[in-house]
Amino acid sequence: MFCSKKKSLEVERTVKANDREYNEKFQYADNRIHTSKYNVLTFLPINLFEQFQRVANAYFLFLLILQLIPEISSLTWFTTIVPLVLVITMTAVKDATDDYFRHKSDNQVNNRLSEVLINSKLQNEKWMNVKVGDIVKLENNQFVAADLLLLSSSEPHSLCYIETAELDGETNLKVRHALSVTSELGADINRLAKFDGIVVCEAPNNKLDKFMGVLSWKDSKHSLNNENIILRGCILRNTSWCFGMVIFAGPDTKLIQNSGKTKFKRTSIDRLLNTLVLWIFGFLVCLGIILAIGNSIWENQVGDQFRTFLFWKEGEKNSVFSGFLTFWSYIIILNTVVPISLYVSMEVIRLGHSYFINWDRRMYYSGKSIPAEARTTTLNEELGQIEYIFSDKTGTLTQNIMTFKKCSINGKIYGEVHDDMGQKTHMTKKNEPVDFSVNPQADRTFQFFDHRLMESIKLGDSKAYEFLRLLALCHTVMSEENSAGQLIYQVQSPDEGALVTAARNFGFIFKSRTPETITVEELGTLMTYQLLAFLDFNNIRKRMSVIVRNPEGQIKLYCKGADTILFEKLHPSNEDLLNLTTDHLSEFAGEGLRTLAIAYRDLDDKYFKEWHKMLEDANALMDERDERIAGLYEEIERDLMLLGATAVEDKLQEGVIETITNLSLADIKIWVLTGDKQETAINIGYACNMLTDDMKDVFIISGNTAVEVREELRKAKENLFGQNRSSSNGHVVFEKQQLELDSVVEETITGDYALVINGHSLAHALESDVKNDLIELACMCKTVVCCRVTPLQKAQVVELVKNYRHAVTLAIGDGANDVSMIKSAHIGVGISGQEGLQAVLASDYSFAQFRYLQRLLLVHGRWSYFRMCKFLRYFFYKNFAFTLVHFWFGFFCGFSAQTVYDQWFIALFNIVYTSLPVLAMGIFDQDVSDQSSMDYPQLYEPGQLNLLFNKHKFFICMAHGIYTSLVLFFIPYGAFYNVAGEDGQLIADYQSFAVTMATSLVIVIALDTSYWTVINHVFIWGSVATYFSVLFTMHSNGIFGIFPNQFPFVGNARHSLTQKCIWLVILLTTVASVMPVVVFRFLKVDLFPTLSDQIRQRQKSQKKARPLRSQRPQTRRSSSRRSGYAFAHQEGYGELITSGRNMRAKNPPPASGLEKTLYNSTSWIENLCKKTTDTVSSFSQDKTVKL
Amino acid sequence: MSEEYISVTCRTKMKRISEDYQSRVPDNTALKQQQLPAYRLQLSATGILSGFFAAGAFCLGMGIILILSAKSIKEIEVKYTKICANCAELREDATNFDKECTCSIPFYLSETMKGNVYMYYKLYGFYQNLYQYILSRSNSQLLGTDLKDVGNCAPFSNSHDGTPIAPCGAIANSIFNDTIILSYNLNSSIPIEVPMLRSKITWWTDKYVKFQNPSSINLSSAFAGTTKPPYWSKPVYELDEEDPGNNGFLNEDFIVWMRTAAFPTFKKLYRRLNRIQYFIEGLPAGNYSFNITYNFPVTRFKGEKSVVLSTLTWSGGSSLFLGLAYTVTGAVTWLASFSMMAIHLMLKKKKMLFIQD
Repeated sequence: MFCSKKKSLEVERTVKANDREYNEKFQYADNRIHTSKYNVLTFLPINLFEQFQRVANAYFLFLLILQLIPEISSLTWFTTIVPLVLVITMTAVKDATDDYFRHKSDNQVNNRLSEVLINSKLQNEKWMNVKVGDIVKLENNQFVAADLLLLSSSEPHSLCYIETAELDGETNLKVRHALSVTSELGADINRLAKFDGIVVCEAPNNKLDKFMGVLSWKDSKHSLNNENIILRGCILRNTSWCFGMVIFAGPDTKLIQNSGKTKFKRTSIDRLLNTLVLWIFGFLVCLGIILAIGNSIWENQVGDQFRTFLFWKEGEKNSVFSGFLTFWSYIIILNTVVPISLYVSMEVIRLGHSYFINWDRRMYYSGKSIPAEARTTTLNEELGQIEYIFSDKTGTLTQNIMTFKKCSINGKIYGEVHDDMGQKTHMTKKNEPVDFSVNPQADRTFQFFDHRLMESIKLGDSKAYEFLRLLALCHTVMSEENSAGQLIYQVQSPDEGALVTAARNFGFIFKSRTPETITVEELGTLMTYQLLAFLDFNNIRKRMSVIVRNPEGQIKLYCKGADTILFEKLHPSNEDLLNLTTDHLSEFAGEGLRTLAIAYRDLDDKYFKEWHKMLEDANALMDERDERIAGLYEEIERDLMLLGATAVEDKLQEGVIETITNLSLADIKIWVLTGDKQETAINIGYACNMLTDDMKDVFIISGNTAVEVREELRKAKENLFGQNRSSSNGHVVFEKQQLELDSVVEETITGDYALVINGHSLAHALESDVKNDLIELACMCKTVVCCRVTPLQKAQVVELVKNYRHAVTLAIGDGANDVSMIKSAHIGVGISGQEGLQAVLASDYSFAQFRYLQRLLLVHGRWSYFRMCKFLRYFFYKNFAFTLVHFWFGFFCGFSAQTVYDQWFIALFNIVYTSLPVLAMGIFDQDVSDQSSMDYPQLYEPGQLNLLFNKHKFFICMAHGIYTSLVLFFIPYGAFYNVAGEDGQLIADYQSFAVTMATSLVIVIALDTSYWTVINHVFIWGSVATYFSVLFTMHSNGIFGIFPNQFPFVGNARHSLTQKCIWLVILLTTVASVMPVVVFRFLKVDLFPTLSDQIRQRQKSQKKARPLRSQRPQTRRSSSRRSGYAFAHQEGYGELITSGRNMRAKNPPPASGLEKTLYNSTSWIENLCKKTTDTVSSFSQDKTVKL
Repeated sequence: MSEEYISVTCRTKMKRISEDYQSRVPDNTALKQQQLPAYRLQLSATGILSGFFAAGAFCLGMGIILILSAKSIKEIEVKYTKICANCAELREDATNFDKECTCSIPFYLSETMKGNVYMYYKLYGFYQNLYQYILSRSNSQLLGTDLKDVGNCAPFSNSHDGTPIAPCGAIANSIFNDTIILSYNLNSSIPIEVPMLRSKITWWTDKYVKFQNPSSINLSSAFAGTTKPPYWSKPVYELDEEDPGNNGFLNEDFIVWMRTAAFPTFKKLYRRLNRIQYFIEGLPAGNYSFNITYNFPVTRFKGEKSVVLSTLTWSGGSSLFLGLAYTVTGAVTWLASFSMMAIHLMLKKKKMLFIQD
């Protein structure tokens, strides 16, 4: 972009609130965004410049210039200019429409309205007119217009909640808060208008979780960090209003900085073609030189005398100069080896394939009535060559819906469907869900199919009560009642939401909470529990507990957490139950469910009071406070009584497992890049069958410094090679092995490995010297999962694989956080039908469901690649055959650059006579059916290995073309020697020769099709018919009478094509040029059949019998237990809850609270900030310290 | 206010979706779903092999027929550049253009040439297919519509004084201008001139469509305002003194010459035997001689001239090449099919063994 230069110069940004004049000095970018490339004036020059940068277009322009020089013009100019203009215009129109839509979407975004404080008044202003330093008012559910410094909000402590799905894909709410000095401003417009603080901060950058700055206001300085900033692209939630000051606008915002550049995508075939065009040009030059030398010699030996005989003026040209001119003439004549129609045809074929994608009913999602869409029409064949898929998780692999599926209560499993005989059965449509209608507060969307749990509750199973009570008490959920009186749960971790909702439906309804109490409606009776302590979750503890006093006065500790952790803390009397529950947990995990163990403990008053005293003392400590607290938590969370376990399903999108299995069978490697937590990512990896227990090792890289990361990577690599080496052959010279590693390693590695790497480590691993280690390790692993990655890191990972593996990559995602990766991968796929459109807008293909990826790649991609390669092979062959006859003819016409064919034939050959059959082949050809393509994913491999069109194949085409041109030329040459017509007249004249050659060529060329649909028939026979009708028209008396000089071939077709001898020549030419090809193909299929040949053969033999669909056995997962406690959970919410700061004043805490708030309430925000920054970005030391 | 706004957009969105619902479902047609019924070409062994055997048989048969018919053609060719060396030498110097030079070549015909006999002149090494040469003509002038249209004829478009040349261009200028007369020595006494026809030696379309004389009372006035090509001795309307209809652009020798040959060695039809008197059956065996008025210089460009007498068969005056090519192709095809069969059978056996194992 045009301002990128300026941006790089910016080191520090100074912004003064409410002072546009002051801020204008710095010329900061305003809030207008440009994604468009051209405007009305710049379109023509820029677009033409871009187009002529393509090798082919430049080549044709060069040819055109040559043709305009009369001395060397051997072909009329219209043979080149017409197609060239056509191609340039078509491309220009396409570019213009694309850009028009970009303008439109830019305008749409730029014209969004937001309330801005201008001249002490709130005014609606378009986004593009928002300037740095302006104060903006945001309301609930609005998009944030620019990167803002939060000044004040409607919530207590000027908190505000934001959803950052557009930025990092996480859907849980995040908390931001204003500085206390600015939060006093509140909604007072006058005071806000007078606010004149100056912010000095870092220059625009793309780090989403980092911000450093200082606010100077009223003679004091306050440091700012990421917690005070709301970024563009976020949505304000649960906050009725907030005010913010614009720090970064438009292109400087972190969202735009993260979006990566739009790159012009080209397929690898395009790049190969560019090389081939250069080669062919070299080949042309060689031919030209040979012919030019021939011409010089001929002129010298024969031509001179011949010329004088013809009264050519002597000395007009010497032989060397004549050779020079001939060279250029031949360059023009032979240019048809790369005709411009190649490029037009390729575009047409790709367009056709794109339409097939749009039309495919099997990629149409009826749920949201969204068809698949090929948004870019130029990349189709690359879909058949994908080696790496980079997938987002949330919204792509998963639906981001958590549902309570199963539970184990006191050794009894619930949630399975049993038939009448008491046997476990599969879920069918017949199964009726449990009827929750008796419970007016039940969540309608919740479904549970096992009636036995409801029965147990009705029977008064105390363990079940306790279980559900725990679920209703031990969580961080906030409740709210909406206008209709319905309970709404505000969850910050969807897992918890699922559990609380389950409890709610089974009659244990969490109603409300205050910092000291939790109100639960238990089977119709309102109960208020006193919350005595809240033992918060963190990554090490992997559990959370609450200590409550129930209405009967008993003190209870309720704990839920990771089974591995919790089981160590159980009372020894639980052993039997533990074994039973462990079995159940394994079963749950086997189904890919997230599990959680549930336990409780009865506490006596005295013990608790002692403990609580110690906790308060610990809190008062200045040093080692955290350690002491952790120790106290450990102390009380022991001798627990196991209640059971829960199983929550992170619902995968439909068909994800099958799709991933099939794509892996096609040797496509799938990497998951997600902004989510490591545990969640790993869990999904297991759920999708990408990680399995059969894997030899799963390397987890989570170092915090470059050195650590490198060390971990090295260790993992050593581990991998070590195992491998020991398994192959004891000692091998280390260095030698290291050298050979790259080439052999992939084959020698036995067993599957997986790599899990998190965002911090990735940041270090992407540094130049560690990069190689990373890529080497990652590429030897079957599965790679990157978690907690920023949008830009996603793009960097894609770039890394692109650059180091030279592999074709595909990125698939649904949110704005995937945009940069979608843009940088060879192919970007967007999941449509989600809320945000950014991913789809940036993508090349979009569809509604992840599972369609399978069909897109294995069917459409494979066919596109197959067809495009076949087309290219055919096209090059055709044009070599067509053009090289001129070369042979050169030796018989004094190298005078005489063409073999009529000029009209040359002009029409590629456009009219042969374009349609070859297009029909390129669009419709199928080697195997779509069903077979899906059934045998191995068929995808030729594309990845680039087998169908490469330099080697190109040479084969070339040889084939040369052979055909030899046959085409020398058989008529021999036959025409000393021949006479049936009435004795001359038939060996130049014009008859041209007609004979052209006719043989058209017949030989037209016949090479192996998949005959009606359209192929129509096009092939139509083309042959067109050839003859055009031939006879152009050789007719009428047209000659009108343009005698343009159509000198009058009567030729009639005369030549009535001679038996000519037809015998044509027949022989056809036989001689087709025969070897058939032999070659037959032997190839017979001796070295490819997989598709075999499948075809098998299908042919099974034609009568009903073709058997190969049913792959359903892979049953057998995986170890993985506790999924609070994967999307963030530490710090416990403090929020117990401090009550996130609760509205409408629920005033009861005055007669037994216990006071546990923590020093003024410090909780600092605590929260510290802890979140510790976990989110432990390397950035943004502590809120007053300067 | 904002909530209201959102709900409105939601509703319109819903409406739009429900309206679009039908239109967004892709059509279930064979074309759009890529399910068009199709014939997939399969290279099955039996099909290929039988096709190959058939094609081979056809080619062999055709080859033999063509060879036999080519053999049945009686043809005699007399190269006269060396024989008339003195004339050739004379013509090397363009200034001698007005000196006449004749040359008589006797030959003996051992067998009767039955049927129609055609007389050709044949040139070796004359490049009628040069790019500049082929271009150098004006079809619109030859059509008689516009005598002054000499656009492409350089360097033979205008004479020195600027009058357009008719017929213009290098092709017309370089016309073959030897006259060849065949005489038959019946009883080794007075030679009889063999009657020859100079009509119907051109393509019908050339004579009646492509070439037309400009319309006027007589030819000389029609060509008024033009001049003869520099190499010519006579203007175009005096080419045939015997037959006034065979003059101007419609002169058959001229038309034949104007149809440029494809290769530097070519023969062009010169005369047809008029089958009357002694020659009703064709050319009887005996002594003949060609009486040639040698005008056309070829030695300067190392060319050669010959005169050819030939009969025809069903396929015209075909040479041996086509027959041989067919035979070779047929033989190769059979060879290929035998080896393919062998390979295929061997493979099949191997496969069977593999299965038995």
